[in-house]
Amino acid sequence: MKPLNLIALLFFLGGSVWAFTRSDRAVREVQDGYFAAMSPFLRSGSKLESKAHAFRQETRHSKELEVELTAVRSSLGRLAMIESRFRELEHENERLRHALDYKKATHFNVVAAQVIRRQPTTWWQTVDIDAGEESGIGTQLAVLSNEGLVGKIDRIYKEQNRSSVLLLTDEKCQVSAKVEGSPEVGILSGQRGRFDGNPLLRLRFLSTDAALHQGQKVFTTGRGGIFQPNILLGTIDSVEKGALDSEALVRPAVNFADPGTVFVVLSADP
Amino acid sequence: MIRYSFITILLLLASFVIQEFLPAFTQLHQSRILLVQLVFLCSAITVEQPTMLLLAFIGGFFWDAHSALGPHGGNPEIYTQQVESMGFGYSIILFGAMGFLMQGIQPLFKQGKWRVSALLSGISIFLYLAAEYITITFIRGDFTLTRATVLQMASTSLLTMLFSPLIFWLLSRIAKGCGHSIHPQAGRNRRRTH
Repeated sequence: MKPLNLIALLFFLGGSVWAFTRSDRAVREVQDGYFAAMSPFLRSGSKLESKAHAFRQETRHSKELEVELTAVRSSLGRLAMIESRFRELEHENERLRHALDYKKATHFNVVAAQVIRRQPTTWWQTVDIDAGEESGIGTQLAVLSNEGLVGKIDRIYKEQNRSSVLLLTDEKCQVSAKVEGSPEVGILSGQRGRFDGNPLLRLRFLSTDAALHQGQKVFTTGRGGIFQPNILLGTIDSVEKGALDSEALVRPAVNFADPGTVFVVLSADP
Repeated sequence: MIRYSFITILLLLASFVIQEFLPAFTQLHQSRILLVQLVFLCSAITVEQPTMLLLAFIGGFFWDAHSALGPHGGNPEIYTQQVESMGFGYSIILFGAMGFLMQGIQPLFKQGKWRVSALLSGISIFLYLAAEYITITFIRGDFTLTRATVLQMASTSLLTMLFSPLIFWLLSRIAKGCGHSIHPQAGRNRRRTH
């Protein structure tokens, strides 16, 4: 081996060891620097995408829009009626709850966001959303959709008002879960190598004699310090009994192929 | 040569920007074009070993910055068996290994036989993805290899490999612009036949 090649190889190995020994905090700083350098390109890209989207919208046939407008107007009238009925019922419900001294339901302080990018990395199940630091979002906050739990915030892109969500379908996203109508609690997570539309989740560490049946709902326990209690996770699909514990496969409540608008929970009433 | 090496580094950095805009093809087994790895592999065969190692370090370092996941979080008393992901820096070694693999057929490439290199770039990407998956399995335990994973790796390699002639063409244009040849023996053979 040429001396220059040997020196280069030694430098390379030394650099690799240096990178391997970086702390979590140092890695985050490197990532912040990397995405800060990328931000002008990403911003320009997202502006171009918005312009292209606006152009596509404008070129839609006007008749199609007219039909849509008529349909929306009729829906609006119907929704106005429903809303007034809803307000009445809400008021009545509030009154009855007060009369029964009923425990107040948990209210979430949330920020709405749209998924702007799917699966930016090869192996991790993540999506990027268009809300970040400017909206008061931090890491390890729960992300919901109107169907149930979507995942948690894994990373904030500095100065971009964008963040990355680790989906419930990822093996690393663990949630303390309980099964409705049973004393069973376990840890729910995604499965490795399952990428198809709506992969099943694994509910582990159940008791050996877990009496569960298909269709039972699975909720968050609220233990573990990240997710609030009683958020719907999915329904039991099947149960596999083992010698030491049992495992259940859970069908997620959220359609991960199209989660639509998501909500980041900033805080929740106790 | 120095100018050419410097431009390949810039090209590698530019590929990171473009990679941010390349989506995953959900209809094609979640495959994607790994442009960063492709630019590195194609460049690795055209440069000397020290430059290849520098490219491997830059490529691996920024690739990990692009894709590393954050810490687990939550109460460790509840989440007793936390799932780890690959540590920062593992890609540097993988890039280096791929680079050495590509340099193994550098004599053929210098003769102008770039098709073999294009094919090897696809194989290298497959091996790279397989190595990543094996590393994840080694760290997390419980070996599972699904059909979906194999199809994802194969389609990603194939899709990426299809773009290698374009990168080789770009590199040869850059080399020409720098007054350098990436196929020196092919040029000599051509002159002899004339």
